[in-house]
Amino acid sequence: MSSRYDRAVTIFSPDGHLLQVEYAQEAVRKGSTAVGVRGANCVVLGVEKKSVAQLQEDRKVRKICMLDNHVVMAFAGLTADARIMINRAQVECQSHRLNVEDPVTLEYITRFIAQLKQKYTQSNGRRPFGISCLIGGFDADGSAHLFQTEPSGIFYEYKANATGRSAKVVREFFEKSYREEEVANEHGAVKLAIRALLEVAQSGQNNLEVAIMENGKPLKMLDTDVITDYVKIIEKEKEEELEKKKQKK
Amino acid sequence: MARRYDSRTTIFSPEGRLYQVEYAMEAISHAGTCLGILAEDGILLAAECRSTNKLLDSAIPSEKIYRLNDNMVCSVAGITSDANVLTSELRLIAQRYQFSYGEVIPCEQLVSHLCDIKQAYTQYGGKRPFGVSLLYMGWDNKYGYQLYQSDPSGNYGGWKATCIGNNFGAAISMLKQELADKENVKLTLADAKDLAIKVLSMTLDTTKLTPEKVEMATLQRVDNKTVYSVLEKPDVEKLIEKYTKVQAEAEAAKKEKQAKQPTK
Amino acid sequence: METLLGIKGPDFVMLAADTTHARSIIVMKEDQNKIHKVSDSLLISTVGESGDTEQFTEFISKNIALYKMRNGYDLSPRESAHFTRKNLAEYLRSRTPYQVFMFVAGYDPNAGPELTFIDYLANALPVNYAGHGYGAIFASSIYDRYWHPNITQAEAYDVFKKCIAEIQKRLVVNLKNFTVAVVDKDGVRDLEPISAASLAA
Repeated sequence: MSSRYDRAVTIFSPDGHLLQVEYAQEAVRKGSTAVGVRGANCVVLGVEKKSVAQLQEDRKVRKICMLDNHVVMAFAGLTADARIMINRAQVECQSHRLNVEDPVTLEYITRFIAQLKQKYTQSNGRRPFGISCLIGGFDADGSAHLFQTEPSGIFYEYKANATGRSAKVVREFFEKSYREEEVANEHGAVKLAIRALLEVAQSGQNNLEVAIMENGKPLKMLDTDVITDYVKIIEKEKEEELEKKKQKK
Repeated sequence: MARRYDSRTTIFSPEGRLYQVEYAMEAISHAGTCLGILAEDGILLAAECRSTNKLLDSAIPSEKIYRLNDNMVCSVAGITSDANVLTSELRLIAQRYQFSYGEVIPCEQLVSHLCDIKQAYTQYGGKRPFGVSLLYMGWDNKYGYQLYQSDPSGNYGGWKATCIGNNFGAAISMLKQELADKENVKLTLADAKDLAIKVLSMTLDTTKLTPEKVEMATLQRVDNKTVYSVLEKPDVEKLIEKYTKVQAEAEAAKKEKQAKQPTK
Repeated sequence: METLLGIKGPDFVMLAADTTHARSIIVMKEDQNKIHKVSDSLLISTVGESGDTEQFTEFISKNIALYKMRNGYDLSPRESAHFTRKNLAEYLRSRTPYQVFMFVAGYDPNAGPELTFIDYLANALPVNYAGHGYGAIFASSIYDRYWHPNITQAEAYDVFKKCIAEIQKRLVVNLKNFTVAVVDKDGVRDLEPISAASLAA
């Protein structure tokens, strides 16, 4: 009998659920996977692109975008919703600079996005945003941060996390393999992000999009060649590990 | 049971889908076909015309292809009245940009701006999404010739060649095949015209293509100016004749081959 | 009282601005920068009602930054000037007009350098050389004499020196220091400031 309680997003069902919000999360779970890793002095975001159709222009497919010079965001879920959210956040970043002369902190812009999402779960005549965002970047003091927001308007800070399809698998992977010393340099952080993506990537290494941001430097999108190099290293390490295991036996 | 989640647009189904948007896309896949092809030296749009009533006044030259501004043209598939709303919106966006910045709007910005409007109709209450997909062709000094497609969901993408409307799947795979064959050869606008006729005649439900059923428009840069032209009916006729001739020859060649085979 | 100068060459635009901040008859400070770097290849210099100058320039530059963030490419100098002019014109007809005079100077890889003169009534004019404020009165004859279509950066800097020497000699208001900046294909750069002391040396 849930049907009467999930028509308008503004009301609870008798067992205390906000069904529309949960369904929106379902839309996120259908989206392609996005991962984020916070290194000691860098933030890496990676996504699995839907395979680009042969006739499609590659340039137009973007799941990682800048909100400000020091803030980058990746998302999983409905692309059109994301575009609206990105626009709003970009305006907020500049208007924050205009109003208080400082760039936004990562927590501030995450809170802004989360608040906007929350509004859409409580006001009448709208549906929630069907996106989950990973927001990475640097505060003015040079510290790296990685945040995640969900359609409900909730947000957390992470060392590494994933969202979208099979996010759970990736999260477990991160819990297992995230080590401070490994992500101390950007090389390690990128490797960890790519490894995480490979865990769940449906079409292999060909459709990965990885971006790295270091403090004070512009965002760098990794070339496919560079990603391929990383993939080779990762595969080699895997083989070596297998070899070791065999020897032990 | 899906009924519960599809009577209003603004809400998610338990699987996280937006049924109204999906239904709108479904409606479009029954509408008249439109296709666009990006060539080296220009770009074209071609559309299938369904209302071929003899009493229609031909003073209005183009029914499904609309000029948006100096550098952009679009064609539509779906509910025509919705399309009229969107094309006038597009023209307004383009002029507003020109008013603000004094230059012609870059293609992608126009597309993305319209898609913001389309998206709003999938998120706010009491409204249905626009039942229109559009193909846009244009030129700007940032990326040169460009072809875009946008959906009722508010998604859009850039393409080298694509198709919307009836039988779009078949048409796209055909375009893919044809273009893959010519991968290393530069596609000229003339080739693109032939290709458009070929794809349309294969995918249209009717047995024979007639000039009345096809609308075709091209966009090119000549002497630093964008030149937009709608093909005249006799020109379309010529293209169709050329196609039927080639087709007949191919058929004949095939038969000949088959005839030869038993003698071997 | 405050003075802005601008010169466009075949492949650059150079701006100069005095650094005096005066209120009524009192000089409040002597090191105010009036040339704002807006993007990698765009400068805006502003004088006028103090407060308005900062507020309006900030507003314009944040909008230009937003444009770049959204679209991945910069607004061209011509578009920037048009956008600035339009906003100024709209504020002029509002209840809160800005009283600012400015130069929008930029370099576009395709269209080359662009120098636009904008006054507080939102007149906008692409120019080869111009000035704002009282100092400009003395500058125009010097520009007329020394500017030529193939002017180099060194020559333009020299013209500024001549203008400033004349301003410091003839103008009743004391404008001691001028900052100078240039924009060309390599982006935006600050040049040596021109002051009474550096001119005497």
